[in-house]
Amino acid sequence: MGKINLTALRVRETALKQFASGKIKRLPQWVDVVGDVPPPEALIRKPPIQHQLVRQRMKTIPGSSQPQTVFEVQEKRRKPKKASRMFQPVELRYEEDELRQEFFRDHPWELARPRVLVEPTKNRFQHDWSRMKQPGKRLDGESVVQRQLWLLNNVPDMTKSAAYDIARREFYRLRLQEDIERRIAAEEAEATGAQFGPSMLEVGMELENKQYELWKDWAKNEAQILNQKFASLSGAPELANENDEKEPVKSFESVEPEELN
Amino acid sequence: MIVRQFGVRQSRQLLALSRRAPVSARFLSTETAVETPVTSSPESSVPSINSPLESGSTQSKQSLTESEQRWRKWEASKNAFHKLGSTTKDSYEPVPLSASEITLEHLLAAGTHMGHSTSRWNPQNSRYIFGIREGVHIISLDVTAAYLRRAAKVVEEVAARGGIILFAGTRKGQKRSVVGAAHLAKGYHIFERWIPGSLTNGEQILGHCETKVVNAFDEELPEFKNDLQDRPVVKPDLVVVLNPLENVVLLHECGLNNVPTIGIIDTDADPTRVTYPIPANDDSLRSTDLIAGVLGRAGQAGQNRRLQDAKDGKFSYQPVSADWLRLDPFTGMPLEAEQQKKK
Repeated sequence: MGKINLTALRVRETALKQFASGKIKRLPQWVDVVGDVPPPEALIRKPPIQHQLVRQRMKTIPGSSQPQTVFEVQEKRRKPKKASRMFQPVELRYEEDELRQEFFRDHPWELARPRVLVEPTKNRFQHDWSRMKQPGKRLDGESVVQRQLWLLNNVPDMTKSAAYDIARREFYRLRLQEDIERRIAAEEAEATGAQFGPSMLEVGMELENKQYELWKDWAKNEAQILNQKFASLSGAPELANENDEKEPVKSFESVEPEELN
Repeated sequence: MIVRQFGVRQSRQLLALSRRAPVSARFLSTETAVETPVTSSPESSVPSINSPLESGSTQSKQSLTESEQRWRKWEASKNAFHKLGSTTKDSYEPVPLSASEITLEHLLAAGTHMGHSTSRWNPQNSRYIFGIREGVHIISLDVTAAYLRRAAKVVEEVAARGGIILFAGTRKGQKRSVVGAAHLAKGYHIFERWIPGSLTNGEQILGHCETKVVNAFDEELPEFKNDLQDRPVVKPDLVVVLNPLENVVLLHECGLNNVPTIGIIDTDADPTRVTYPIPANDDSLRSTDLIAGVLGRAGQAGQNRRLQDAKDGKFSYQPVSADWLRLDPFTGMPLEAEQQKKK
């Protein structure tokens, strides 16, 4: 049948023909089902959905006192598409994408913060971005993006950079407030008798010190072995001592205990 | 033969009912063996009619081992405190949804819209694709919902006509949803490999498998057992494949045997391989579970309808008569033995 195999789509016709020609004695039970609910049309291309980047802005139009909402649609391509690309799907683009990219390029460590992956069933995306802080949502980079978008959509004659500055300033203030709250909570807890134990830095320093001690033991041992090797090679103890004085290992061994202890 | 064994087993259990359950000498392998207090025969442990009740109760108290006493104590404390603490409410219990309950939100949450990388697409799927996002094709959710409802309708109607439905999902982790869907739809399932030739060479591969004749209420009719010998193997009336890419052989055999198929078609699969494609993500277990659940529920609705119709004495299908069952499977004529009997 060539490249395209339509056997699966023509099961009913085949069954009817087989019955008519006497190949099968009974029609299968599903014949009328497939007749009532026919298989969908296949291999027929549709023109793909054209997605356009739409920007919503509030603008003061000369001649009218009130600012008006304006939708700016991205202008069409000057060069038309190739005929072979006519039926290819189109990229989905939203205004937030640019804002998100800009924010996370400037604040890459915002991506390292823990995120909540629990899926709520209701009110999933119902936030009012006229303010930065949202009930039930942790403050993160997405808050800045959404707040910036709200400012761009709703404040008259707002520019992208001005909206970014406003959203960022609010974000930094809230982050600072969170830090202060956290510090005060820890201080209060310590004042009422809580003990937090060694901090992560202290733990890390402890581990590092332990490794240094291990290395010291190992180095002492190595130096001793090297000394003995040289002594046995030279044969003359005076010469061996001379060699040892030139050796950096020897000098290290002689200096080390005072310096490191 | 089997029936007699069944009876014996049951009656043995009945005999054992009055007997005291055996208490092992040691509850833990680390414990040392302690002599069990009661080793007498069951007759002696049962208090006689003449003896007063107290004697029986004291004996039972003595017979408790240390660990049993600890268990009793723990149970008593549990009963005393079981009203304390918190109760869980609104916990998440995944239940397969029916096709009428499916919304685009469900499909989105299950991730059915995620296709493959744009470079891996099959252009035959262009009509199901909504757009490109981050280099990945996004399947249109409304198309998925429409095709899913269509497939569910087919499953329901085939189940209502008593058709044999086979659910196949051979990817890792699909076992549970495949078995669940087959259980709901009273169908059959494959969660391991499809053995090539199970349809085209069924006598060799499935010849030893048991078949049965059932009546309209799904009760077995054992008197037709002998008539089922030398019959061609049973073929499914509908095959649902959750991963058509790995089951090309199954779909090819379905084509050769003229069996309608339903399959989850991702953006890299060939939609003409199946009769009823469901454009959706076949790589996410959550997505395939959702779709298998919907089809299983549809099958359940169809089976319920068929049994209800059978109670009312109606048939939505053409019932098989006893005479037809006794025809020769190859010639379609009465069997030779019967012809000789008639003579």
